[in-house]
Amino acid sequence: MNLAWKEIKKNKVRFLILGSIVFLVSLLTFIISGLANGLSQDNAALIKDLPEGQFYMNEDADETYNLSRIDSGIQNEILKIQKDAVAFSIQMGFLNDEADKQQSIAFVTSTDSKLFENVKHEEIILDSSLKDKGIKVGDTLTNNQFSGKFVVKGFVDQKKYSHAPVAYISMEDYKEIYRVEQMQLVFTPEGDSSQEFTGLQSFSKKDFLNTIPSYSAEQMSLNMIVWFLVVISGMLFAIFFYMMNVQKIGLYGILKAIGLKTSRLFKMIWTQMVVITVISLVISITLSQVFNMIAPEGMPFSLSFKTTGQLSIVFLIIGFIGATLSGIQIKKIEPLQAIQQGEV
Amino acid sequence: MTLFTIDEVRKSFTNGEVKEEILKGINLSLREGEITALVGASGSGKSTLLTISAGLQPTSDGQVIFEGKNMTTMSSEQVRKVRASKFGFVFQFAHLVPFLTVEEQLMLMLDVSESRLKKHEQKEEVNRILKLVGMDHRKNSYPNLLSGGEKQRVAIARAIIHKPKVLFADEPTASLDSKRSKDVMLLIRELTKTLNITTLMVTHDEEMLSYADQIIKMSDGLILQNVD
Ligand SMILES: Nc1ncnc2c1ncn2[C@@H]1O[C@H](COP(=O)(O)OP(=O)(O)OP(=O)(O)O)[C@@H](O)[C@H]1O
Ligand SMILES: [Mg+2]
Repeated sequence: MNLAWKEIKKNKVRFLILGSIVFLVSLLTFIISGLANGLSQDNAALIKDLPEGQFYMNEDADETYNLSRIDSGIQNEILKIQKDAVAFSIQMGFLNDEADKQQSIAFVTSTDSKLFENVKHEEIILDSSLKDKGIKVGDTLTNNQFSGKFVVKGFVDQKKYSHAPVAYISMEDYKEIYRVEQMQLVFTPEGDSSQEFTGLQSFSKKDFLNTIPSYSAEQMSLNMIVWFLVVISGMLFAIFFYMMNVQKIGLYGILKAIGLKTSRLFKMIWTQMVVITVISLVISITLSQVFNMIAPEGMPFSLSFKTTGQLSIVFLIIGFIGATLSGIQIKKIEPLQAIQQGEV
Repeated sequence: MTLFTIDEVRKSFTNGEVKEEILKGINLSLREGEITALVGASGSGKSTLLTISAGLQPTSDGQVIFEGKNMTTMSSEQVRKVRASKFGFVFQFAHLVPFLTVEEQLMLMLDVSESRLKKHEQKEEVNRILKLVGMDHRKNSYPNLLSGGEKQRVAIARAIIHKPKVLFADEPTASLDSKRSKDVMLLIRELTKTLNITTLMVTHDEEMLSYADQIIKMSDGLILQNVD
């Protein structure tokens, strides 16, 4: 006889409340983690989309890529040894469109590489989010520090840096705008930390992302919210199962008195926990994925099935622990106690 | 024939520093198919003796022998098995499972006692017992819709559905009026006779004693009198 299911059927409201709490907390967690991921894409897609590898900047740069100037001799040496290596620079700046409206962008330039867009003198390739601002292929854009004009050659998807769309320009034009000869960074795909070059400090991709001040602060607070939510939901689960079990101590005592095995009582609460959690998770996964699809264009939201899946497993484990912890009381219940306590 | 023997059973509880002996050496036998009534003042140890006999709490000293086996030395799993298959319980309150219908309460008991009957045979048996206690018309009701007397009759049905050898009843009529008490007592008596069940019953009600084959009077943890 399936006691777990019979109880759920008889006490629909109680289990519905528990289910909706699981649903709301998990949905909130999914949304926040979608937001965290979306923001991190918005902040550093340019870097995140690069393959795993090593980043190098000047040792004297104080771990701030903006201050890094890589000696061209060393740069040439690295590029010669590692044929996939690329030197690049990033600077925040502005472009004026044809209507002379200013657009905030991140200028990126690099040596020849298939990891970056390669553009010629007076050409520019932009992140596709600028299409929404009315910029089209063939438009000419200007910059106060630049004597010439940029002609828009094309667009690339999802290339953002520091919440601004990326604009690829040639090294020649970059040098004119920022009046620097050296590049800020060198990236070696598939390189590892064992490769050292004099005067340069190396970073893994993760470490490099963390040197971007806004990135690490943003991600840390969002990830903290996500994990707090996970912990809070864990406690909610445990407390709810605990309260439900406390109410049923008398009942469990009677069931034990008539000879039910303790293991069967545990199976009962586990089944209930799994049924409630799985149903609630399925609903919140569906809703968060729907939200992922219909989220407005400008909203930094990106939630993968993988992340949802991982969080769901965490929720299941937490629910299981919560149910089991409160179930430990069941083990301690003396059937006699229940009988003497009067009507259940 | 003796089915159940209680041999020099002692039980003490420690309340803080003080150790109190509640049962001070009880000897008693239950004969097959008979009703034994336990009477005595409140606090004399009747419920303690009953629950010890039923394997619901351990003794401090002495033996409880059932079908020739010493229950005090069994593991808790062995005791559980005996309780599930050989004992039936009725208490002052019915203690029905709130989320099961009357029929399901009895099906659960058959399940717990590992009945070998097939599903449809189990249902027939449940129907038969519910008819015996006059509750077959309420078999699809949940306990919250039953009156006190009806609940108690379902509890009795649950206590005997798996054909236990011994029925333990602790003031089974205490929550009922005198008319219902009489009905329930007659029912227990009839069932013990037809199903050859041995019954140990605690009662406060003098009237109930007329249904007993053996009356044991307890006082202060000792048996005062044993009236056949
Ligand atoms: N678990 C326990 N811990 C401590 N003392 C207990 C415990 N169980 C019973 N007692 C004590 O043992 C004594 C006998 O209790 P018991 O319940 O057996 O009496 P009783 O004869 O059934 O009384 P009543 O007619 O009121 O039900 C009481 O004084 C009670 O306080
Ligand atoms: Mg009592």
